[in-house]
Parts: sequence; C-alpha cells; structure tokens
Amino acid sequence: MKKNVAVVGIGNTAFRPKTDEYSWKELMYEAASRAYDDAGLNARRDIDSFITCAEDYWEGFSIYDEFVPDQIGAAMRSCCTVTGDGIQGLALAYMQIMSGAAETVAVESHSKISDLLTYDDVLAFALDPIYNRPLGGHPHYIAGMEMRRFLRDSKCTEKDCARVVVKNRTNALKNASSAYGTKLTEDDVKKSAQVFSPLRKLDVSNLVDGGIVMVLASAERAKQITDNPVWMTGVGWSSDTPWLENRDWGRAEYAQMATKMAYKMAGIKNPSSDIDFAEIDDKFSYKELQHIEAARLARKGEAGKQLRKGRFDAQGRLPVNVSGGSLGCGNLVEAAGLHRAMELALQLRGHAGRHQIKKVVKRGLALSWRSVPTASGAAVVMEV
Amino acid sequence: MTFLERSREPEAHKHWYGDMEASYVYSTGIAGERFFSTLRDKGKILGATCPKCKKTVLPPRMYCEVCFSEMGDWVDVGKEGRVDTFSIAQVGVGGEPLEEPVVYGLIRFPKVEGGLVHIIAAKPEKVKIGMKVKAKLRPRKERSGSILDIESFKPH
Repeated sequence: MKKNVAVVGIGNTAFRPKTDEYSWKELMYEAASRAYDDAGLNARRDIDSFITCAEDYWEGFSIYDEFVPDQIGAAMRSCCTVTGDGIQGLALAYMQIMSGAAETVAVESHSKISDLLTYDDVLAFALDPIYNRPLGGHPHYIAGMEMRRFLRDSKCTEKDCARVVVKNRTNALKNASSAYGTKLTEDDVKKSAQVFSPLRKLDVSNLVDGGIVMVLASAERAKQITDNPVWMTGVGWSSDTPWLENRDWGRAEYAQMATKMAYKMAGIKNPSSDIDFAEIDDKFSYKELQHIEAARLARKGEAGKQLRKGRFDAQGRLPVNVSGGSLGCGNLVEAAGLHRAMELALQLRGHAGRHQIKKVVKRGLALSWRSVPTASGAAVVMEV
Repeated sequence: MTFLERSREPEAHKHWYGDMEASYVYSTGIAGERFFSTLRDKGKILGATCPKCKKTVLPPRMYCEVCFSEMGDWVDVGKEGRVDTFSIAQVGVGGEPLEEPVVYGLIRFPKVEGGLVHIIAAKPEKVKIGMKVKAKLRPRKERSGSILDIESFKPH
C-alpha cells in the first residue's frame, strides 16, 4: 500500500432539507471547525492549503471563490476553488501534497441549496443553449432517457432500481447525519408517481443542505497528527463528451475511466474482489447499478442480479452505500462526492457508528458523478 | 468550536431576497451557423465529416472530438432516424404536472455518430426504442434558424 497521503481529519454538519438558522458561511464554518477539532489542528497555524469545491450558480453569486477564505480559516493563506465535485478537490489536494506544495490540505464542499429558490431553472441552464435548451422541459428527462437505455442494455430492471431505493433509504436509518432514512418497500417505489418515465419520483434523490471538510496530510505529518490515518491510495477523474447526442447512454464511461485511473494508481487488478465496500453515486436509483458496473464491481449486466442476491447489502460481500447514499442521506450537489469519500474514511477508521460495516473493511472505493446533464465523475480509493 | 446557541425561532430567521438577471447571446459558431442556416433555408439536416476518422458527426462541429482534426465535408444526413432512447416527461420545470406528457428522445441517423435530442410527437405508449421516426419541419416562412425549426420527430 502506498502511504503517501492520509485523511487525518473529518467534519460534517447534519444533512437537512433546510438550514434556516445558518448562513452558508456558518454552515461551512461548522463543518470546518469539526474537521479541525477531529484532526487536532489549528487551521490558522497548521494547515498549509485550503480547497473548496463549488459552482457560482448553486451558490447564488458571481465569483464565489472570493467569498470563501474566512469561514474555513483560510484568509491570507493558500486557497482556491475547484468548480466541481468534492472528489476533484481531493485529487487536487493529493497533487499538492505529492508535489511538496503543501503538507496539510483542507478540502471543503457544501450544499446550501435550500437558498436557491429556482433550482430547476438553474439546472435547465446547464443544458447546451443552442441544441438542447430551446426544447424546454425539466432536465431530469435526461435521467429518464438514460435509465431507459441502461435498463435496455443491461439485464437490470425497474424492480432492481426500486430495490436500490429501498436498500439505501433503509441503510440511512442507521446514519445519524441522514435526512431521508425510512423503511419502505419496492411496492412503494413502484406506486410512486411517474415523473420522467421510466423514472419515478422515489428513484430521484432529494436535495439537502450540509457541509463537509476533510483534512489531508503527507505521510510524515499524518504520523504526527493521528494514530488512525486512512490512506488515499488512488484517485481518478474523467469526463465523457459534453454532447448528449454523442454519448453511449447505456454506460457511464466517465465512471469507468475515473475508476480505472484510481485502480491503476492503487494497484488494484480485480476490483470486485479487491474492494471491500463502496460508496457510489446514486443521485438516481439506476445510477448506482450503472456505476457499479462501470467501476467493475460487478460484470456488465450483472449488477441487478448481484443486488438481488444481497451482495451490495449492508451485510453483503461488497456493501454499497451503507451510509444511505444520496437517496438516503440527501443530495448534497457538489458535496455529494465528498460525502461519499467521507463515509469511506469513517468506515475505514471504524468511526461510522450504527452504520459501521460488521465485517472488517480495509479498502474502499468512492465514486462521484456531477448529475445531469454532465458526464463527469471522480473516484478515490482509500485503505487502512 | 461552533456556536453556543442556535436559534429555534422561525420568526427570527431573517432572509434577504436576491435575484440575478442574466441574459446571454450565444454564438452558434461557424459550424452551427451552417447547420442552422441550411436547416432554415433548405430544410436539410447536415452533419460534418472528419477527414481522418471518416465519421460523420451530428450535431456538426468544427473539430473532431476523437482525433482533434478540423472537420471536412458536410453531409445531408436525411430526415429519418431511429429512437435510441426516450423518456416521458409528466412534470415540467418547477415540478408542475403537465396536462399532456412530453416525449423526449435521442434520434440516431444511419451511418452518423451522435444524433439529435428532440421531442417525439407520438402517443407515449406507442414509442419504442428502435422505432423509425422522421423529422417534421416547420413551414419555410416560420423557420428562424433554430433547433425548433424541426417541430418534432414523428413515427414513420
């Protein structure tokens, strides 16, 4: 195992549909305070570099990064913004440490999406303005189209997708941070309203507010900071074509490329046996199955079958989203990937509380996707 | 570490409303200009062919995303294609239920990489993957050089 970069601090707020009492800055402050406390570090003295991951339109003002430094302790320090997903931020932090530019790096991502009163309109503005946007409609129709092609090309079924919803929302009952943990049945999913068929209402994750900060350190610093470092051994990121028209809609090629890169770095040859558990983007139910296949945690066309056999259950051979995922915890937008990574680190430390996996886990994969209409994802492998 | 007290009073939670007016004019570009003016004036759908990969791509663009060459010939790809995938939107932007569901689909054309995302004008229950469809263009005088010059794709 390559022991170069370690997770030495983790902090998050609870994930809630609304956070009226906090400004978005205070939300970030809370997550950062918790992470620095966890690491036992003084942000103003001990952290060399700060990275925050966010998009202007989600935040509600132009040039978001100018508003960042103070609430995470980064004023007058090395600080920059990744306009993307949290795992892309982890990748940048990894590079900063490996290059020697920094020894300790804080990576922040959050969602204060309840502040955005016109989420659907902003999402619609993410479509190609000339070829796609004039057609109108809610961009989730793209997820419906992708789900249909994926189900057609794989042997997965709508029932399998319903099972993902049941698994993740039930798993979330044991996660104290989650907003949408509940007991429900496949029948409840089947009876929920068709929204962008074959996509049903319960196949879609719900938005939440929340903040996450992870502190990374070089091997040398990690040894001084903590007795239980979690090693980041592989990282990867990729984007498929931005043209909706040119994608292969049955497959998540970006996820295949991102995980391939991370596996190579971590020296993983057979992901389905080498990976003990995974936190995989599930912003829509079918995406979990599609991402499982792209990450080679199941053979092509077998994710549904393996799911039915219980392989991805909390007690299964390869638990997937034992945290509850985005379906169970809520969709944290750009922070959803950092949440996947955070859950990985908590499990590997043995600090996941009631949703701690019963068997001993040594190596996990987190995989993110930036939701429709993107074809961008990032992956990280962590080990102890 | 964090705040000693957090407010529980809904009335005390003050908000400041803000909105952003953002208007843009997007250049269709050299490739888009040709695609949309041909669609408007001649009622033809054009793809662009990569001289190196020999593949025709739709929507057309100036450069090949596979080999990064500049595109060469322009090709009329016809108006007939097949439904690669589709979804039936029962709600609109804002989540309001639609009176009539709208079918969105990806149309693939023979021997063409890519295709067009558009509205399929057919009864939702009749639409199938692989179904043949044909572009229905608006009358010449109603066409303005936009993707909406194609009214929809209809079963064929």
